[in-house]
Amino acid sequence: MSSANNLEIKDVYAAYDSADVLQGVSLKVEAGKITCLLGSNGAGKSTLIRVILGLTQPRQGKIEIGGKNLVGLQTHNIIASGIACIPEGRKMFPKMTVVENLRLGAFQETSEAIVLERMDRVFDIFPRLFERKTQLAGTMSGGEQAMVSIGRGLMSNPKILLIDEPSLGLSPLFVRENFNIIKRINEQGTTVFLVEQNVHQTLAIAHYGYVLSQGRVVAEGTPDQLSQNDELHEAYFG
Amino acid sequence: MVGTFVGFTTYLGLSAVGIDNAFVQLVGVLVVAVGAMALLGAVIARYLVLPLKSAPPLNILLITLMLGTVLRESVRLFYPDGSNPKPFPYLLPTDSWAFGSFTLRADSIILFIGGLLVIIGVNVLINKTKMGLAIRAVAQDEETAKCMGINYTFTVLLTFALGSGVAAFAGVMNGLYYNEINFSMGLLLGVIGFSAAIIGGLGNIYGAILGGFLFAALQTVGAVALPFSSAYKDVFAFGGVIALMVWRPTGLIAEKSSERV
Repeated sequence: MSSANNLEIKDVYAAYDSADVLQGVSLKVEAGKITCLLGSNGAGKSTLIRVILGLTQPRQGKIEIGGKNLVGLQTHNIIASGIACIPEGRKMFPKMTVVENLRLGAFQETSEAIVLERMDRVFDIFPRLFERKTQLAGTMSGGEQAMVSIGRGLMSNPKILLIDEPSLGLSPLFVRENFNIIKRINEQGTTVFLVEQNVHQTLAIAHYGYVLSQGRVVAEGTPDQLSQNDELHEAYFG
Repeated sequence: MVGTFVGFTTYLGLSAVGIDNAFVQLVGVLVVAVGAMALLGAVIARYLVLPLKSAPPLNILLITLMLGTVLRESVRLFYPDGSNPKPFPYLLPTDSWAFGSFTLRADSIILFIGGLLVIIGVNVLINKTKMGLAIRAVAQDEETAKCMGINYTFTVLLTFALGSGVAAFAGVMNGLYYNEINFSMGLLLGVIGFSAAIIGGLGNIYGAILGGFLFAALQTVGAVALPFSSAYKDVFAFGGVIALMVWRPTGLIAEKSSERV
């Protein structure tokens, strides 16, 4: 992986109406690594994801992938530059089948053969989804929906995968399983930007981390450095 | 209605330049009417519906109703002699076969098959193609659809173009069947279509078809079997719709449920 595929966020400010949410956030998601962003509720984590995806326009700042600025592009063009997202709360399409949900993940892929091949790969990771291929996603359990959502994120074979709170609302067993899968995805060459509240499990798989508090990056470092960092404890418990 | 008038104008144009083969005229009328209405639908979506997308749905409903009035009155005022009915040409074969007291007209069969083909076509398009997948995704969850890499604006415009094009096809079929068109032909039909969709079950194409036939059956019963004048057939049919809505508020064929139980 070359640095040409780094995702860089440079001095981003964002606000909803008059409420400032991000105040000069800069961070770097290095190609081939798992970079995590920790922070409590309301720190601005999900807003940062929305800004990267072009769903919320930043007031200022740049978002670059391999040096190309993404700010101002429409979401589908940002996706076309190799980003995929596993959104917070899973957000599968409830009235579609598992297969249709997965197909949507590979929407910009025009070759049917490649789509089917990737779908097989997803079914390898989640045999449960193969058994429930034609079930409507909205009728599945929370854990199964998480599988659909993760599988869908893999269908575009993204360079960079944004994962927003994968542990939200899942049982501890599923959380551990999901983190293992994220690790495996990364080992197969996908850059991961993981946004989480769950500190310990996140730091266990991440290569580098940032801590966001009230719209600012208050700490960064390797997992070892972060787990001893006072700012991190402050951001959560202070 | 606008589609039918565009089709009618196309017919006049084709006749004026000397093309009088009925088949060529029919194809020309359909292509121009459907194409023009698809374009109009996309323009309406772009400049009236999309800017309002964060407004309450009631506002969008009101805007479309008002737009209907604007279009209707525009045809009445600006189309030459627009306030009078126009004779729509007979472009289909006028053969008919008699079976006892029952007469089967060739144009009825052709229109029935045409309608059936459009229904099947739209169904395949929505459920089996990638474009249909995008349309359904955008309908269910706009932001997640965008995150899948779907071009949101384009898909919305396409959806409106498709709907308007199908409506134009229906308008031309209506003109071909009754051979008379006028500026307010769409109003009652619109209300009937909406009622049919509601009693059949919104969100289900077969529900709308079932509702359509049911409404027609109610009208016919109202006209034939009941002791009052046939002018009251719509009163009877809409009364039936109200009763059905009370009985089955979500329609006869409820939407396939996806909520967890």
